[in-house]
Amino acid sequence: MTKTAEHTELREAVSLDRPWVTLVWDDPVNLMSYVAYVFRSYFGVTPKQAERLMLQVHNNGRAVVATGNRESMERHVEAMHGYGLWATLAKADE
Amino acid sequence: MSALRRFTPQPDGLLLGRFEPIEADLLRLATTQLLEMLRSGTTDPQLTASDGAFGRLLPDAYRDDDEAAAEFRRFTATGLLERKAQNAQIVLDSLAAKEPNAATPDREDSQPVTVNVDPDAVQAWLRSLTDLRLTLADRLQISPDGVVHLATEDTPFLRELYEWLGMLQEELVYAIDV
Repeated sequence: MTKTAEHTELREAVSLDRPWVTLVWDDPVNLMSYVAYVFRSYFGVTPKQAERLMLQVHNNGRAVVATGNRESMERHVEAMHGYGLWATLAKADE
Repeated sequence: MSALRRFTPQPDGLLLGRFEPIEADLLRLATTQLLEMLRSGTTDPQLTASDGAFGRLLPDAYRDDDEAAAEFRRFTATGLLERKAQNAQIVLDSLAAKEPNAATPDREDSQPVTVNVDPDAVQAWLRSLTDLRLTLADRLQISPDGVVHLATEDTPFLRELYEWLGMLQEELVYAIDV
């Protein structure tokens, strides 16, 4: 599974707006092992990074798992919903 | 004899899964109901707005912007539900492939049910087990702190099923994630 950020829109590429982020939220249903697996398999992060992100979700209630333009964050959120994770997007630092 | 593992990786890349007949029946039943629910959601978008289970399957993509959340839903809900339905169908197909002969239901069959799950199907299984648990969590009225609030005669059964599906999913994650 590959995942590369695509700079498809010039308008977005040159914009100096604050970027968007993809957030994954803690929920009482999803297992820690599965959440870490999703981060490894979808975002291609190392097991260590996946574990750290998963614990951030678990302990802080949420974690930023990706940063970029709005379009790619929407794509990530849709993918996370496909995995059954509770994900949202927002402007950075909101 | 060594302890039986639920899922055993095979040299050809397939995972061999073993279920007691009653486990296979339960999983088939639950997945069939999930599939029906997902299909009713694709044909009746109103349902996805009113039924809490759909709220867990298709959460708002924007927390503080209802308009953007509705727009996102409009563009993604159908595709997501269709893919979730495909995943459920793949689980049913895996189970059906090794189903004991349905033509002789009176036959006592205590043999474990074995299923072969290829790498693509594993993805469908993992996601479908999640969808099943999300749906059950809504039925069980599980609050954010994980407490079950449903208090009916169905609660013990649903809760056991919920926990068993979680165990199954974890076994699957560990089996592919060596």
